[in-house]
Amino acid sequence: MTNKEKYKKAFSAVHPSDEFSLEVEKMKRIRKRYVCKKMAASILCCVLFMTSAKVAYAMDVGGIQRTVQLWIQGDCTNVTVQFEGDGTYSMEYTDADGNEQFRGGGGVEFASDGSEIPLSEEEIMEYLTMPDVEYKDDGSVWVYWYDQKVDITDKFVDGVCYVKFVKDKEPMYVTVKYHGGFAAGPHKYVDPDSWVSN
Amino acid sequence: MKPSVEILIEKYRNNLYVMAFSVCKNAQDAEDVVQDTFIQYWSQKKEFESEQHIRAWLIRVVINKAKNKNNTFFRRNALPLEDYIQTLTFESEESSELFEAVMNLPEKYRIVIHLFYYEDYSVNEIAKILKLTQSNVKVRLSRGRLLLRNTLKEDWGYDE
Repeated sequence: MTNKEKYKKAFSAVHPSDEFSLEVEKMKRIRKRYVCKKMAASILCCVLFMTSAKVAYAMDVGGIQRTVQLWIQGDCTNVTVQFEGDGTYSMEYTDADGNEQFRGGGGVEFASDGSEIPLSEEEIMEYLTMPDVEYKDDGSVWVYWYDQKVDITDKFVDGVCYVKFVKDKEPMYVTVKYHGGFAAGPHKYVDPDSWVSN
Repeated sequence: MKPSVEILIEKYRNNLYVMAFSVCKNAQDAEDVVQDTFIQYWSQKKEFESEQHIRAWLIRVVINKAKNKNNTFFRRNALPLEDYIQTLTFESEESSELFEAVMNLPEKYRIVIHLFYYEDYSVNEIAKILKLTQSNVKVRLSRGRLLLRNTLKEDWGYDE
C-alpha cells in the first residue's frame, strides 16, 4: 500500500457529526446574523479608533465637501468627503475593483465637564489616514497604512498581532485583536487589554 | 460559473470538514469553519473559471478560516484530541497511529501533507493555494515526511 493510500484510509474515519446541518435555509438565517455581527464589528472599530483619541462614536447625518486623495487598503484613491460640521462625515469613492463605495462615521471629544466637542475636519482627516484592518472573504487578514500592506493571517499569538510600519522615518505601531478591533499610535503599541472586544 | 451551494455541499462537505479538522484539530470548530465557508461562497458574487478553481478556493478559505479559529482568543471547550480519536473507528491500528502522527505534526507541515496525500494536489498546486513558493512547499513536505517516518518507522514508506 502506498503512503497516499494509507493516508486516505486513516482519514476515512473522520466525518462531520450527524447533527451537522448545512441546509441552505439555515445558512441564510446564519448569514443574516453574520452580516449584523460584521456591522457591529465595524462600528466597534470606529469606537476603538475614536476612543484612542478620547472621542466617541456619533451618528452620521448629512457641510463642506472636499475631494482628497486617501490610501484605502493599499490603493491611492480619490475620495469625496463631506464634512457635516457636527463631527461627522460621509465619503464616497470607487474601489480598486471599480465598485462605488460609501462610508461614513464621525465622533465627538468629551471635554473635562462632560460636554461634547465635535471633531474638526483636521481630526477627521487624521482618523481617515490612520491604519486600517481588513478581514478578506478568503479568511486572510490584512493591515494597511498608506501604500503599505501586511498579511497578518498567520501572525496572531493568543488572538493579538502587533505590526510596526515606518513611513518617512516615522513609525506607526498597530495592535490588532482578531475580530476584536485595533488601535494604532506613533509612540508605542497600545495594550490590547486597554479595550474590550465584542 | 457558479454552481449552487447545494451541489457543492454534497460534493465537498466531507473533504472540507477533514481539511478543517486537520488544521484546527477540533470537531466543533471544523464544522463551524465548513459552514462559514459555504456561507461565504453562497453570499458573495464571485464567479469562478472552473470546477478546479472552485475546489481550490473552497480549500483555501477553509484553511484560512481554520487557522483563524486557532488564533482566536477564546476557543471552545474542546474535546481533547486523544478523546476524539477514541471516538473514531479506524480500519486498523496502523491507520490510527498514522492519524495521530499527522495530527501531532506542526500546523504548517500538516497542511501541506494533507493537501498532498489526501487532496492529491501537486507541489505547484499547493503553492498556489497557500500562496507559497514551490521550494517552500517542497521543504515543508519533506520535513513533514521525515517527522512521519521518525514516528511511524517502517509503517511510512519511502514512496512519495
